[in-house]
Amino acid sequence: MNDLLRKLRPERLRELVLLLLILVVLIFFSTVIEHYLNARLFNRVSTSVAILGVLAIAQTLVILTRNIDLSVGSMVGFTAYFVGQQLSQNNEITPLVAILMAIGVGALMGSFNGFLVAVCRIPAIIVTLGTMALYRTLLVEYSDAQTVLTVNLPKWLLDLPRVNVLSYERLNLRLMVAGMFIVVILFQLILRNTSFGRKLYAVGSNPEAARNSGFPNQKIIFTAFVLCGSLAGLTGFMFLARFGNITVVAGSGLELKSVAAVVVGGVNIFGGSGSIFGAVLGAVMIDLLENSLIRWLQISEFWRDAMLGILILTSVATDSVIMKRFRNYRLKKLSQTNS
Amino acid sequence: MTLKTSNQPILEVLNISKRFDMTQALSNVSLKMYPGEIHALVGENGAGKSTLIKILTGVQQADQGELRLSGAPVKISNSQEAQTYGIAAIYQEPLLFPDLDVAENIFISHQDHGFFVHWDKMYKEAEKILSGLGVRIDVHNSASGLTLAAQQAVEIAKAISLNVRVLIMDEPTASLSDHEVKQLFRTARQLKQEKNVAILFISHRLEEVFEIADRITVLRDGKHISTRPLSTVTKESLVREMVGRDVDQFYATRKTRAVGKRICSVKNLSKESTFYDISFDLHVGEILGFAGLVGSSRTDVGLAMFGINPADSGSIELDDNIVEINSPQTAKKLGVAYMTEDRHQLGLAMPMSVTSNITLASLNQYLNRYGIIKREKEGKTAKEFKNRLQIKTPSLEQEVGTLSGGNQQKVMFSKWLNTKPKIIILDEPTRGIDVGAKAEVHAMIHELAEKGLSIICISSDLPEVLAMSDRILIMREGRQMGILASREATQESVLSLAMGQKIGIS
Amino acid sequence: MSIILNKLKSWEGFLSLILISVILVNSLNSESFLSIDNQINLFELSVEKIIVALIMVFIILNAEIDLSVASMMGLSACALGWLVDSGTPMILALGLCLLIGAMGGAFNGYWITVFKLPSLVVTLAMLIGFRGLARVLVEDRSIRVFPSWFEALGQQPILGPIPLSIIIFLGLLILAVIILKFTGFGRYVYFIGINQNVALYSGINVSRVKMILFTASGIISALAGILFAARLGAVRGDMGLSFELDIITMVLLGGVSIFGGSGSINGVILSILIVLYLRNGMSLSNITGHIQTGVIGGLLILSVLIPNLQKMIHDFLNQRRKQLQ
Repeated sequence: MNDLLRKLRPERLRELVLLLLILVVLIFFSTVIEHYLNARLFNRVSTSVAILGVLAIAQTLVILTRNIDLSVGSMVGFTAYFVGQQLSQNNEITPLVAILMAIGVGALMGSFNGFLVAVCRIPAIIVTLGTMALYRTLLVEYSDAQTVLTVNLPKWLLDLPRVNVLSYERLNLRLMVAGMFIVVILFQLILRNTSFGRKLYAVGSNPEAARNSGFPNQKIIFTAFVLCGSLAGLTGFMFLARFGNITVVAGSGLELKSVAAVVVGGVNIFGGSGSIFGAVLGAVMIDLLENSLIRWLQISEFWRDAMLGILILTSVATDSVIMKRFRNYRLKKLSQTNS
Repeated sequence: MTLKTSNQPILEVLNISKRFDMTQALSNVSLKMYPGEIHALVGENGAGKSTLIKILTGVQQADQGELRLSGAPVKISNSQEAQTYGIAAIYQEPLLFPDLDVAENIFISHQDHGFFVHWDKMYKEAEKILSGLGVRIDVHNSASGLTLAAQQAVEIAKAISLNVRVLIMDEPTASLSDHEVKQLFRTARQLKQEKNVAILFISHRLEEVFEIADRITVLRDGKHISTRPLSTVTKESLVREMVGRDVDQFYATRKTRAVGKRICSVKNLSKESTFYDISFDLHVGEILGFAGLVGSSRTDVGLAMFGINPADSGSIELDDNIVEINSPQTAKKLGVAYMTEDRHQLGLAMPMSVTSNITLASLNQYLNRYGIIKREKEGKTAKEFKNRLQIKTPSLEQEVGTLSGGNQQKVMFSKWLNTKPKIIILDEPTRGIDVGAKAEVHAMIHELAEKGLSIICISSDLPEVLAMSDRILIMREGRQMGILASREATQESVLSLAMGQKIGIS
Repeated sequence: MSIILNKLKSWEGFLSLILISVILVNSLNSESFLSIDNQINLFELSVEKIIVALIMVFIILNAEIDLSVASMMGLSACALGWLVDSGTPMILALGLCLLIGAMGGAFNGYWITVFKLPSLVVTLAMLIGFRGLARVLVEDRSIRVFPSWFEALGQQPILGPIPLSIIIFLGLLILAVIILKFTGFGRYVYFIGINQNVALYSGINVSRVKMILFTASGIISALAGILFAARLGAVRGDMGLSFELDIITMVLLGGVSIFGGSGSINGVILSILIVLYLRNGMSLSNITGHIQTGVIGGLLILSVLIPNLQKMIHDFLNQRRKQLQ
C-alpha cells in the first residue's frame, strides 16, 4: 500500500484521473449519441487536438515560470495569415521553409513579450493582454482586411491535414497528429531531462531560491516566452493548413482555450509544477467535449462555451481542494512509515 | 577544543565597510576564519550581522575592504560565485524549491555541469550524502512537505555537494525543536571534524553559542568589538559587549500580585492532528505563559481561541458562558485579542500609516452611521497610544514600515488594546526586537496585567516566560504536559516537561 | 514652483501632461473635438466601459481582478433581450437582469472566497462561461424588441444635453470617491489589497469584503449591459466582446497597482479621459476600431513600462553616482 503510495506522485494521480474522466465522457456520449464512437470521431478530434495540443504546450512553458501568455491566439492568427499570404504569392516556397518561417515569426513576437516581461519587469498578464491587442492590430494592418483564400494556397498545404502516417482500418494517424506527438516527446524530454527544463520548474517553484542558486531567472523566463511564441507560430502553420481561409479574427479565442487546457491538465497556474503530458490531456478533454457537444442534438451547440467555463472552474477547484488533501494524506502516511 | 593556529585562515574579512543611505551598516569590520572551527557571530539586531553575511555570500558588495580566500583576494559579486568559492549559507527559513524533489534540490546548483540531468546518479549521490549526515529523508519526495529541520538538512547536503569550505548558519535553530537542534549540532561538528569546514554560526540564543562555538566574535553598531576563544568568555562579558553597557539582569523579576476571579475556562480543546485536550483557567489580571518547543502547537491553540482556525471539540467558557468562537470577528466581539508573532506578514500593513494601523481592528468605533470614518476621533486615539506606549515616530501619518521593530511592536499593541479586550493572546511579543525595546515591552505587559487584563503569553524564550508568568502551561507536540505555578517553575522543570518527561502534578 | 514640479513627477502629474497634449492635438486636428456635442457623444459611446472601470478600481485595489465583466455585460444585455422577447414586462426584465448580475458576481466571489481560487482563473473561466450563456440565449440572432421609451432613455438627453447613462456614471463616480476615500469599507479595501492576511488577523471579514466587491462588479456590469442595450436598441451575443481590455487599461493607466493596495480614483479619472479622447481623436481622423484597440493595448503596456523604466534609470543613475564617489 505504502509502496504504491510512494510511487503515486500527486501529479501522476492527477493525470490518471483526467484520463479516467476522458473515458467517462466518451462512454457518456456514446450512450446519448448514435454512432458516436467511430473512426471519424477519432480522426476529427485528433486533428483538432494537434492544434490545441501544441498551443497548450506553448502555454505550459510560460505558465511553469509563473507567467501567462494571453497573446498566443493573436500570434497564431498573425503567423497563419503571414505564412498563408507568402505562400499564396509564391507557390515555390517549400514546406520546410514555410514551417521555419512560421516558427520564426512566432519567435519574434514571443521575444517581444519576453523582453517586456523579463527585461522591463512588467507583469505578464498586462504585457500579453496588451500584445494580444497589438498583434491582432498588426494582422489587421498587414492584411488590409483581406482574407487568405484556400484557392491561392499550394496544393501540398491543403493536402497536409489529410496525409496519414499510419492507418488501421478507418483509424488514421494524421501527419499533423504525429507532428504533435513529436513536439510532445521533445518537450517532455526537455522539461524532464535537461538542465534548462529543470530551471524552468525551479524559477516557477521558487524564484528567490532560483536567484540564490545563481540562475539567470530573467533569461529563463525570456526563453520560455520565445519558445512559447515559436510553438504558437508552429500552431499558426497547422491552423493555416487545416482551415485554409484565414481572416483577421483567425485564432482569437485560442488564448483562453490554451489556458483552459493547461489548467484542466493539472499545470499549476502559479508555476512550478505540471507536465506536458497533462497539458495535452487537457487539450484532448476540451476538444472532445466541443466535438461531442456539437453532435449532441438535445442541447444547443452554443452551450459549449458555458460548459468550458465550468470545466475550468471545477478542475482548478478539484486541484486546490482534493489534490491538496491527497498530498497531505500521502505525506502523512509516508512519514509515518519513515519514522 | 584547541585551534591549530598555525593554519592559514580559510577566509579573511579585512576592514569591510558598507553604507546604506543614512546608516553605516558596517565600518571597518575584520574577521578571520580557520578551517575546522565553529565561529559564532553575535550581536543585537542591527549590529551588522546580516549585512556581513550578505557580503560574504555575494548578495551585496562591500563599499570598502577586502575578502581573502586562502590568502588570495577575491571579489564575490553574486551568490553563485560565492558557491564556486565554497561559501554557502543556510538560513532559518531554507530556500528550497517546493515542487522539486529532495535530490534535485540538493544538486540544483550542479545544473550547469552538462546539458542532461542524470536522475539515477543524482538519486544515488543524494542518498549517499544524506546518510553520511545521518539523516533519513526520502530523496524522491518533493520538498514541499518537509519539516524545517529536514529542509535545513537538505540545504547542508547541498552545501556538501558543492564542496563547501565556509558554511554560514544564520539563526538555523530559531524554529527548531530541541531534538532537532541537537541533531543539527551533531552535523555541524561532523562537518568541522571530518571535512574541515569553517562554520560561521549566528544565533540569538547564547546557550547555544556556548555549546557549539570555538571562538566568538561580537559586533555592535556595525563595528567589530571582539573576537575571543570560548574559554575566555562568560555570558555576562558577552552580553556586556553586545549591549555596550552593564546589564545586571535580563528580566525584571516578577512582582507578586493577587489575581482576580476566573474569566475564562478552556476545557478539552482539541483540533485534529494539531492539539489535543487543552484545559486551563485564566483569571483577571493573570499572565499565563505558554511554553513549549517549536512544533508543540502553542500558536495553534492561540489561533483556535481567536477563531482563525477554530477547534474541533472542547469548550471555551468566557465569564461562565460557553461561547463558540469560529471567526476572528466573534473573538473580537467577545473581547479576545490575538497579537501575532509575524509582524510583517500578519501583523501590520507596512505601507499604511501608524494611525490607520492602530485603528484597523477597531474601525467600527470610528464610523458614523453612513460608514464614514471620523478622522478627528481616530487621530485622537492614535495620539493617546503614541503617548501612552511612547511610540517613537516622526508623525502619526508616517508609514509604519519605516519604524523600528520595537516601535512597530508597540503599534501592534495599540491596535489590539484599542479593541478593549478582556483577554489578549500575545504570540512571541518580543521576537525580533532589541534588548532595550524588549525591556519596555515586558514592563508594558506587566502594567496591563496590573490593570486587570488577562494575558496569555506564548514565548519560546524560556527565561522570558519564567520571569513574566504567574503560571506556565507547558505543551509538547500538541499535548498539554502540565501547568506550573511560577514559584515552582524553573528552567529545568519547564524544559523537562516540554521535552516529554511528565513530572509532578498536571 | 517646486510644488508644481513635484506634482508633475507624480503619476497624476504625468497623466495630466499626457491629457493636455492629447486635448491639444485633438483640437488642432479637428474643430469639432471641443464642441459640447462631441464631448457628450464621446462619453456616451464609452459610458458602459467607464462605469465598469469604477468598480474595477476597487477590485484591482483589492489585489484581485475580474476578467468576466465584459461577458457579464453581454450576458445581461442578451438576457434582457431574451426576456422581453419571451414576453416578460420590461420593468421585471430589468430587475431580473440586475439579479443575474448579482448572482453571476456572487458566483465568482463564491469560488474565490470559499475555495480560495485565484480570481484570475475564476473570472477567466467566467469570461468564457458568461459569454457562452449569452450566446445560448440569443444564439446568432440580433434581438430588437425593446419598447420605445427604453430606447429613448438610452439615446435621448434628459438633463440639458446629457443622457441618463452619463448621469448614472457621474452618480456612481461620486459614490466611488466617497466610499474609497472616506468610509471604513474603502479602508478595508486598501488594507486587504496591501496584505490580506494582516486584515484577516485583524478580525476583518475579508471574504465578505471580497464577496461584496465581486457581487457589486456583477451588478454594475449588468447595469452597463442594460445601458448598452438601451443605447443600441438591440442585443447580440458578442456585445461588449473584449471590453475588459479597455476597462483594465483605464484602471492600470490611472496608476492603480496590479498588485493591489495602491492607487486612487483621481488618476483613473485622468486615464479615462485620456483613453476616451485618444479613441475619439482617432475616430475623428478615420482610424478604424481594430487599430484603436491596438493603441489601447500599447497604452496598457506603456502604463507599466514607463514607471518601471523611470525606476530603472533612477537606480542606474544612483549607482553611477555611487561609483563616481
